[in-house]
Amino acid sequence: MSVEFQNVVKRYGRATAVAGISFTVESGTLVTLLGPSGCGKTTTLRMIAGLELPSEGRIAIAGRDVTTLGATQRDVSMVFQSYALFPHMNVLENVCYGLRRSGQSRAAAAKHAREGLLQVGLKDYEERQPSELSGGQQQRVAVARALVLKPSVLLFDEPLSNLDARLRRQMREEIRELQQRLGLTVVYVTHDQQEAMAVSDRIIVMNAGRIEQQGSPRDLYERPTTPFMARFMGESNPVRGTVRRLDPEHVLVQLGDSGIIVADSTATEGEGTVAIRPEAIAVEAAPGPAGALAGTIAKASYLGTHMEYSINTAAGDLFATCPWVDRPFEVGNKVSLVLSSRGVIVVGR
Amino acid sequence: MISRAPVSWSTAWSAVGLIAAIALPWYALQEGLDSGAWISGLWSSEDYASGLAQIVEHGKWWLAPVLLALVVCLGAALMPATRQRRGTLLLIASTTGLLLFVAQALGISLHGWTAGWLTALFGELDTRQVGLGAGGAVVLVTLLSLLSIGLALRGNFGGDAFVAGAATTVAASIVLFTAWPILRILVQAFQDGDGLLAPALLVERLATEKIWSLRCLSGGGGRCGVAWNTLFLALGCGAGTTALGLAFALIVTRTSFGFKKTLRVLTVLPIVTPPFVIGLALILVFGRSGLVNQFLEWSMGIEPTRWIYGFQGVFLAQLLAFTPVAFLVLIGVVEGVSPTLEEASQTLRADRWATFATVSLPLMRPGLANAFLVGFIESIADFGNPIVLGGDYGVLSTEIYFAVVGAQLDYGRAASLALLLLIFALGAFFLQRHIVGTGSYATISGKGDSGLPTPLPDAARRAAIWVALPWAAFTLILYGFAFVGGFVKVWGRDYTPTLDHYAKAFAVERAADGLIWTGAAWNSFWTTLKLAAIAAPLTAALGLIAAWLLVRQRFAGRGTLEFATMLSFAVPGTVIGVAYVFAFNVPPIEITGTAMIIVLCFVFRNMPVGVRAGMAAMSQIDRSLDEASLTLRGRAPQTLVYVVLPLLRPAIVGALVYGFVRAVTTVSAVVFLVTAEYELATTYIILRVINGDYGLAIAYSCALIVLMLVVILLIQFAVGNRRLGRRAVALGGGRT
Ligand SMILES: Nc1ncnc2c1ncn2[C@@H]1O[C@H](COP(=O)(O)OP(=O)(O)O)[C@@H](O)[C@H]1O
Ligand SMILES: [Mg+2]
Repeated sequence: MSVEFQNVVKRYGRATAVAGISFTVESGTLVTLLGPSGCGKTTTLRMIAGLELPSEGRIAIAGRDVTTLGATQRDVSMVFQSYALFPHMNVLENVCYGLRRSGQSRAAAAKHAREGLLQVGLKDYEERQPSELSGGQQQRVAVARALVLKPSVLLFDEPLSNLDARLRRQMREEIRELQQRLGLTVVYVTHDQQEAMAVSDRIIVMNAGRIEQQGSPRDLYERPTTPFMARFMGESNPVRGTVRRLDPEHVLVQLGDSGIIVADSTATEGEGTVAIRPEAIAVEAAPGPAGALAGTIAKASYLGTHMEYSINTAAGDLFATCPWVDRPFEVGNKVSLVLSSRGVIVVGR
Repeated sequence: MISRAPVSWSTAWSAVGLIAAIALPWYALQEGLDSGAWISGLWSSEDYASGLAQIVEHGKWWLAPVLLALVVCLGAALMPATRQRRGTLLLIASTTGLLLFVAQALGISLHGWTAGWLTALFGELDTRQVGLGAGGAVVLVTLLSLLSIGLALRGNFGGDAFVAGAATTVAASIVLFTAWPILRILVQAFQDGDGLLAPALLVERLATEKIWSLRCLSGGGGRCGVAWNTLFLALGCGAGTTALGLAFALIVTRTSFGFKKTLRVLTVLPIVTPPFVIGLALILVFGRSGLVNQFLEWSMGIEPTRWIYGFQGVFLAQLLAFTPVAFLVLIGVVEGVSPTLEEASQTLRADRWATFATVSLPLMRPGLANAFLVGFIESIADFGNPIVLGGDYGVLSTEIYFAVVGAQLDYGRAASLALLLLIFALGAFFLQRHIVGTGSYATISGKGDSGLPTPLPDAARRAAIWVALPWAAFTLILYGFAFVGGFVKVWGRDYTPTLDHYAKAFAVERAADGLIWTGAAWNSFWTTLKLAAIAAPLTAALGLIAAWLLVRQRFAGRGTLEFATMLSFAVPGTVIGVAYVFAFNVPPIEITGTAMIIVLCFVFRNMPVGVRAGMAAMSQIDRSLDEASLTLRGRAPQTLVYVVLPLLRPAIVGALVYGFVRAVTTVSAVVFLVTAEYELATTYIILRVINGDYGLAIAYSCALIVLMLVVILLIQFAVGNRRLGRRAVALGGGRT
């Protein structure tokens, strides 16, 4: 186990940024801290780095208690959101910096730094100043600089937020590829749910200083346990419905006059909140099959790959996506909605 | 890789402390350490004995617990324990040691116990204590270091012993050399001649006609008290310099005026001129035998008058001397008003004048208040101009001077007046903060804030130019006369060109065994150069470290530390000078009459400005650069050396230059501290001016200005520029 948090709390004056969290990061995995802005992700990451010391609780890295150790004394390096390349040093000097500080000779440091630059595909850029690189190249220098120290944990704080959309996808693939090739332990912070799902082995979702839920990307998307999770992991329509248990593995969810059987072993009976994924709603011309939900199109937008509809129903307003763009429905059309049971999730009372 | 650094540091420090307690004389020596005479008497002689010997041989039992605390620290450093436990132990032992150290240093002095109740409690003492010496000082430093290490081990200061040590150093030195002396003024103000507390005396000293009379207002030639004099002058100076400074700043930043460079030069002049040079120039032009009087007598037969001496003279001199300072402050303020906001205002149907009045000016208001405060404080702290031009218009700073060095020699009165001066300064400081609030909305983001500054409305532009240009011309003319004054025989009587004054000040003769510096000025010149050269790097280092702590580190007490440095910025030099006299001529720190006290005064007088400049420079550098270095195994000192300092080169140059120049030009604080042995250039010149020896004074001042320009160039050359690559980079940014 590479990183272990036990009931860690961080307070700034009277404000609590992190309100008691526990988790572990297995070595060789990429774990993402995900959550809306201000939920305490950066604070958590900085506590792993040793840039902040916790107000309460215990932190261990590679089995060693590091709770009161500063950043220098921990075997961790970090890639900053702003890259934080030293503007008065060239690329090679930047990558050498940590090696030199760890006591390597100039020659050895340069050798390792060149290897690091090779890893990230920046072989011929040694002499450049950071200001002479593009955003993506700066990002790679920052990664190389952290990588060459062979830290037990590598930290990324929203590393892609300064890049344009296309480059973001490419860089996240590169980071993931590098992590798997070198077997690195990585803790990665982002507020972008898709980015998190694309790179992570495991995701820890935070909300207001606490851990909301953790698990594999698939787990979190398909089995969110709270309304917040359902809203945050992808889009969903929260509606009220009644739940009735059929057998230990299945429940019947009643929405208006339509009912659907959902695989679920934990939900309690009675009225509760149900999340419906927009892609799980099939929109058909009324009258549809029996048991379908009747509705009226309130809004329709064409997005190239799919249609987006807003639909008034007895269970509330629903937002649905629909891959058939050839003959779209128009505002005012009566439709009938068929729900697929995989996208209907009981998330609580 | 586990760094065990703090642990071995604690061993080393404990050992250093113990060695100092055994092998260095505990108390101060009359003749200084370098004579070496103390080595033989380290055990037997009461004057020379080390701490250990003082306890064992000379009955100073109260030192024993202090040394015992050191031994405990060494034990804690050596025994096996967790970081946390070791830290706690070190913390407890060193804190106890420090408290006992301070208690014995304050409790026992030249005449045994310092307070009656101590005598009652412990009985009479038959020994005594003189000032701290090398041994005592090293032990004190050791205890402070161990305290820092203990705190760091326990996880304070981000677990970093260097940061903890830096914070402790800065805090302790501010307490020792700013807070403690000022506290002594308070005590002194309440004491009678025998050192007994007598609060009524303060009232008696302060409630006199001489201080508070308002008779000048009723007309008929009555005179006002010095307190009112000081206040009137300061209010006038604050308002005047702010208005003039704003006019200059607007011209430079918001008009297409052609000679902006020349105006900027004006801002350099007062920085490198001793503050009284303007006063001197005014005498040359308006004095009894000045040009104006001579012309009037020659052309119209008007009797020469002493018109310039008094309020008008001092006021004029201060306006001339401090306007450039206000200019400097306000340039930043005017430039800080974001053009985007002004453009926004214009797109919202406001014309130029409305934009200026409703957007630009309100945004500048905190800056204007700040400039006013600076002018106010410069004025009440000014000593040179009032003493040269005041005549019988006394102000607090000159009154204090005469109370200390004059025939009165009344320390109590001096302390009371200094207290009053301090109250004025702090009053203005708090009033300003109250009015402005701490937030300022005009900020330079460092990010590309595109948009063009809106040109000034015509009326405002004309007003600014009509006020500022004649004033600038006047200033330059005065400087010109001051310069010429050094090259004529006797101003007012004999205008024959001569180099006599320079020769008298700076003559050098060649003798068989080398050069002999026969000029009258050499002694004070070399002393000034030497002490300023020692003080400047100390000022810069302490200032920048304090700035680094305040901007980059988060720790308990950070707010207090920042407030203390801001506050000491507002303390007038005269107050500091007097405070040093009171605080440091008795044990435990007895350094009156030494070069050290002058250097310390320079350092702590000028440090606050270094701190402000450093903070401004540092907050432009993204914090994540430091953090990147920390996560890359660079410990705090390495981060400072390899990352922060190289990026801070301009600020370092600034702090060094400022530290040096202020040390050379300052008068108010050091007039109280100079001795025949350690005479400074400014105090020497002022004495020449008071004696009417203007030629020599001017020659010397010019030489000083040249010296400072040379040193500025040298510093610039030595520290160099920072190199950030061909494309400009944004140092700004931040975490989200
Ligand atoms: N230095 C600080 N002082 C006070 N509050 C802070 C500080 N740093 C972060 N916070 C607060 O802690 C909370 C979590 O911040 P952060 O960890 O930066 O969130 P994010 O998840 O967006 O990275 C926020 O409410 C923030 O305002
Ligand atoms: Mg963040």
